[in-house]
Amino acid sequence: MNDFILSSLIFTPLLAALIVLLLPMRFQNTIKAVALGGALVQMVLAILLYFRFDGTAAANGQSGYQFVNKLDWIGFSLGSLGRFQIEYFVGVDGISISMVLLTGIVGVIGVISSWTIKKNIKGYFLLYLLLLTSVMGCFLALDFFLFYLFFEFMLLPMYFLIGIWGGPKREYAAIKFFIYTLVGSLFILIVMIGLYTSVIDPEATAAQLGMLQDGVANSDVILQVQQLLQQNVIEGANIVRTFSIPAMMDPANFIPGSLLHVLSGTVLWDLPIRFIAFLLLFVGFAIKVPSVPVHTWLPDAHVEAPTPISVLLAAILLKVGGYGLIRIVYPIFPDGGAYFSVLVGGLGVLSIIYGALCALAMNDLKKLIAYSSVSHMGFVLLGLASLTSEGVNGAIYMMFSHGIISAMLFLVVGVIYDRAHDRMILNFRGLAKRMPAYTTFVVIAFFASLGLPGFSGFIAELLVLVGGFSAPDITGMLPRWLTIVAVFGLLLAAAYYLWALQRMFFGKYWIFPELREKAKLSDLNAREYLMLVPLAILALVFGIFPHLLLNKIGVAAQGFTELVLRNGQEQLQMVLSTIVR
Amino acid sequence: MELTELLKPLAGTPQTTTALVVLLLPLLAFFVLFFAGKRLPRRGDWLAIGISTIAFALSVYLFTQTWNTATFHARTTWFSLPSTVVSDFTAGILLDNLTVLMLVIVTFISTLVQLFSVGYMQGDTGYHRYFAYLGLFTFSMLGIVLVDNLLLLFMFWELVGFSSYLLIGFWYHKPAAVAANKKAFLVNRVGDIGLLLGLFAFYTYFRTFDLEALRSLISAGDWLNSSFIVNYSLHGEPWLLELSPLLLTLAGLGLFMGCVGKSAQFPLQIWLPDAMQGPTPVSSLIHAATMVAAGVYLLARCYAFFTPDALTVIAIVGAITALAGALAALRQYDIKAVLAFSTISQLGYMVMGMGTGAYDASLFHLTTHAFFKAALFLNAGIIIHAMHRGLHHAHLDHMDAQDIRNMGGLRKTMPFTFYSYLLAAAALAGIPLTSGFLSKDAILSVSWAWAQTMSANCNLLYFIVPATGFAVVVLTAYYMTRHMWFMFFGSFRAPFDVQQIRHSLKLETERVMLVPVVLLAVLSLGIFFSLNPLSFSSSWVVEGISLKNLSLNMLAGNLVQAVTMQDDANHLPHILIGIFSALLAAAGIIVALIQYNRKTSEQLLLEQPATTFQRLTYNHFYLDSFFRTGFVKPAHWTATTLYRVDKWVIDFILNYSSKWLVVISKIVGWFDRLVVDGLVLLVGAISKLFGMLGRNLQNGKVQSYYAYSLFGFILIMLYIMLF
Repeated sequence: MNDFILSSLIFTPLLAALIVLLLPMRFQNTIKAVALGGALVQMVLAILLYFRFDGTAAANGQSGYQFVNKLDWIGFSLGSLGRFQIEYFVGVDGISISMVLLTGIVGVIGVISSWTIKKNIKGYFLLYLLLLTSVMGCFLALDFFLFYLFFEFMLLPMYFLIGIWGGPKREYAAIKFFIYTLVGSLFILIVMIGLYTSVIDPEATAAQLGMLQDGVANSDVILQVQQLLQQNVIEGANIVRTFSIPAMMDPANFIPGSLLHVLSGTVLWDLPIRFIAFLLLFVGFAIKVPSVPVHTWLPDAHVEAPTPISVLLAAILLKVGGYGLIRIVYPIFPDGGAYFSVLVGGLGVLSIIYGALCALAMNDLKKLIAYSSVSHMGFVLLGLASLTSEGVNGAIYMMFSHGIISAMLFLVVGVIYDRAHDRMILNFRGLAKRMPAYTTFVVIAFFASLGLPGFSGFIAELLVLVGGFSAPDITGMLPRWLTIVAVFGLLLAAAYYLWALQRMFFGKYWIFPELREKAKLSDLNAREYLMLVPLAILALVFGIFPHLLLNKIGVAAQGFTELVLRNGQEQLQMVLSTIVR
Repeated sequence: MELTELLKPLAGTPQTTTALVVLLLPLLAFFVLFFAGKRLPRRGDWLAIGISTIAFALSVYLFTQTWNTATFHARTTWFSLPSTVVSDFTAGILLDNLTVLMLVIVTFISTLVQLFSVGYMQGDTGYHRYFAYLGLFTFSMLGIVLVDNLLLLFMFWELVGFSSYLLIGFWYHKPAAVAANKKAFLVNRVGDIGLLLGLFAFYTYFRTFDLEALRSLISAGDWLNSSFIVNYSLHGEPWLLELSPLLLTLAGLGLFMGCVGKSAQFPLQIWLPDAMQGPTPVSSLIHAATMVAAGVYLLARCYAFFTPDALTVIAIVGAITALAGALAALRQYDIKAVLAFSTISQLGYMVMGMGTGAYDASLFHLTTHAFFKAALFLNAGIIIHAMHRGLHHAHLDHMDAQDIRNMGGLRKTMPFTFYSYLLAAAALAGIPLTSGFLSKDAILSVSWAWAQTMSANCNLLYFIVPATGFAVVVLTAYYMTRHMWFMFFGSFRAPFDVQQIRHSLKLETERVMLVPVVLLAVLSLGIFFSLNPLSFSSSWVVEGISLKNLSLNMLAGNLVQAVTMQDDANHLPHILIGIFSALLAAAGIIVALIQYNRKTSEQLLLEQPATTFQRLTYNHFYLDSFFRTGFVKPAHWTATTLYRVDKWVIDFILNYSSKWLVVISKIVGWFDRLVVDGLVLLVGAISKLFGMLGRNLQNGKVQSYYAYSLFGFILIMLYIMLF
């Protein structure tokens, strides 16, 4: 069971997708049931994994991953150039466990929300399930190639889900989303290839060198191999290059003289090549986060996407960006992380303020919430850049919490759009009178999102801000004024949410005359309760008992900060020393 | 000193468990009433009041257990981050004199307000929702009072903001109400930003939010060469802090910002007058024991963390607020507006007291103010309720039931209300024998001693603070007299029979509303707070919460000590200050009486703010318009501009570059078609040409073939011969 739980998590939706594919179009209810079943199984597995995951186990590094599954996938000899190797390498640690749990939960919510989809149900659920598989794969992959595969594969279902089932400007939004993300993944691809040429798999290299006894690589052997590598005495034919992310995190695995080795001394546009690589990766993932100024795909995609896809997009897909930064960018290029912390934190703060101000200017409720996503994801960047324990824990917590709360927000928008086919704030007034239960959930979602204590968002924002504020004294990372500016985001968040509440939900009941005939403003139905109630409870539970998640995250986040800080300072010195020479 | 030792979990005692029950009871009421209130008999008001009464009874029990006898502290680890530079985040309950005093006040006034609401809110469609919100509000306020660390305090602080948002906007169909609750929340958030930054500053250096631990760390520190040195260890690693006074002052002022927002201090007091859009009992709760008191409570809890400079700023802000509130109250015509501005003014007193080292006096004033202000607001509620009844009977619903110009002569129609109002108003104006006289006198005395201490180097400017305090005494007496005159004296000015406003022939209003009011008004008498109703120093409240009982080192320890010594030495000034403030109050009353006794009914009905100064104070110094043009409008402008940047800059660049991409791809396509394809076609054409040539040779005629081979033979021969 332990060996297969991660693979089952990834491939259950795919299996369901296959079944959907084989079912004839007219079995609509069966298709829905299969999709729901697939998502439910995935959620149950994710919850099971959450409970069985041991949060106290060793920190980040080769041994910190649990439920690891490592299989040879593609491997062949390149003669004197060594061996080419791609592995099916999956595992879970404190950083990914929260994302896995989130994906499981939101996946089911999304299916329930998709119940009202009318157009081409078979195609819709097929793509939906493919999306779940690729997202889950992203969060569990520990091989960069495998990660990239899943990362790229997310694009395809998303493109069609927006482009076919979306609103009036769906083609524009879909292509914009596609191009933005594709440009980002190209940057990632470039660095990935660079890394591949620079990093060896010490274990497999040891096997190639015949240094293994009984086929097991203990740490002594690995250390020996790494020493041999750094002395440059391993023959080219015996070097096994790898895409393994844990291998890339260890600077001892970089081949001397290779492109991305800390002492390579290669300079491009006056910057060391490792900094360029950091920036390329950062941009690639920042597009996904999204961070200002590469965020403009998000409002369009959200506005055009159908409700369940918006939910998935905001709650899970954005997290892949933040997750990539934590899993890949910072641990592999800690020197860049240390060097560019002001840039990353600065963009985070810019996103917080800019996104919040844009949200204030919105008349479309869904666009308002899309911009609020930009604002909230800025906290992730700020927390990461601080490199304090509070900041990093807060960043991961923010990703989880934003997943829950933004799902709720987009569902809430969907409710009014379903009934009135309109969601302009100024077209409604005093909805509280007609839809009291709905308004209650709007108030809950809005206040959860603006960081009311008791909801998970507060814990996340608090940890990020306190981490950012103390960073200059604890880790020496960010200037303090950045965090002080970021705190004003809390005020702006309150402003745009409360203003929207005031204009749309309170006051005397009124709706725009042209909408009156079509709009049937009934209060929430059972299906909507089924989605909103669990999310509200989750936001509350994780707001009051943050240890439920922090106990799982803590050790990994601590390992992350230590690794990045320690390696970062060391490698930064080395990289900069090569430039001076 | 090891920080982790200071943060060890502490086992609960029966007392702390009881306190937890007191805290959770109102939350229980909230959940039950919110979800099931509609289905309960009488829509659950009995449940809410019953729970409140139990909470009050338990609070009294806790009071007897704790007051001047012991402190109880229970603490547990809330969550922890595995890092060597982070201590555990703890949560706990701390019971000391200050806590139990606030506990009793909050639960008592909350119970009375709920009782009053049974009459006041009768028949409202949201009746159960109203009681639910009150439960949430009480829960949040009790949380602020009970918790033992600043992070939890901040959380409940925000919840108070949220529940006040719900209550102020309770009548959500009224546009003014939903504008007011938004404003209240946002203005409070401005203050909260400061508070949060203050918390961060303390956390950054002391690595904990726990109040006791912070106090221990600060008492362990010392001023050396004008910087504050603290030495402690965390997880065994030493932390040596050398903090500049400027940093500590800023951090303290950050905490104070929270108080500025919540306790409606200058310049963030603008939300409080608007907050009266909520139901009147809610105003009573907000203005008396909860919410606005929270800011002063915060100052008291964090008193050790303020530097002398920070305290000076606090004193000055308090004095400004006291004066601004009193001035604004001079010309108001809305019954609740007068009271709202008087609250601002009185809160200014309290904050000024905190700043001048009058810690105990300030809390004493908080206590007395809670009772008489609750009485005043509930009385105002009775009057508004009665006016509504009268206006409704007379089909004059469009008339403003809260405008005191429409009232008059109510003394005879509503005697109970009149006398209880009179008592509470006397306390507010600081007439001897009332509670307000005692506490105000206490603040004025200490602020005088403070000015004496601060001006030791002949800088007499510090005397402006106590002088402002005295000036406010006159103003308060004046506006309360004017207020009373409008409502209770002269003749009734609204166009219907004044008897219409009575509930019935026998009763001026519902009994359930009258009882709390009379009770609170009686509690405005000085005798309940001090056996000698002319001297505050024998008051049990002051004795219980004086700084002497705190026995700790404070950042401003030297200053506060000096002020206390100076105050103790001021025997004669004490008596003189008491007499002087009583005389000032009398002067204010007499001026108002002379001014208004002359006016006819007609003049009173049509009175308008006439002079520039009157208009200025009537409009609250145009602070609202200042904030609107200074902050709100620029924010909106920036917001729309930034969105345009999104649309017209970022997306424009994107679309423009994608257009260029298309152009380039067109060029590439053209190149592909003409050049690359052209080359390929050229090769084809050439070989075709050759093929044509070759084809022409093979025409099937033997003589041609013979000629070609002869020609070839000659060519070969020529080649051999020539080369």
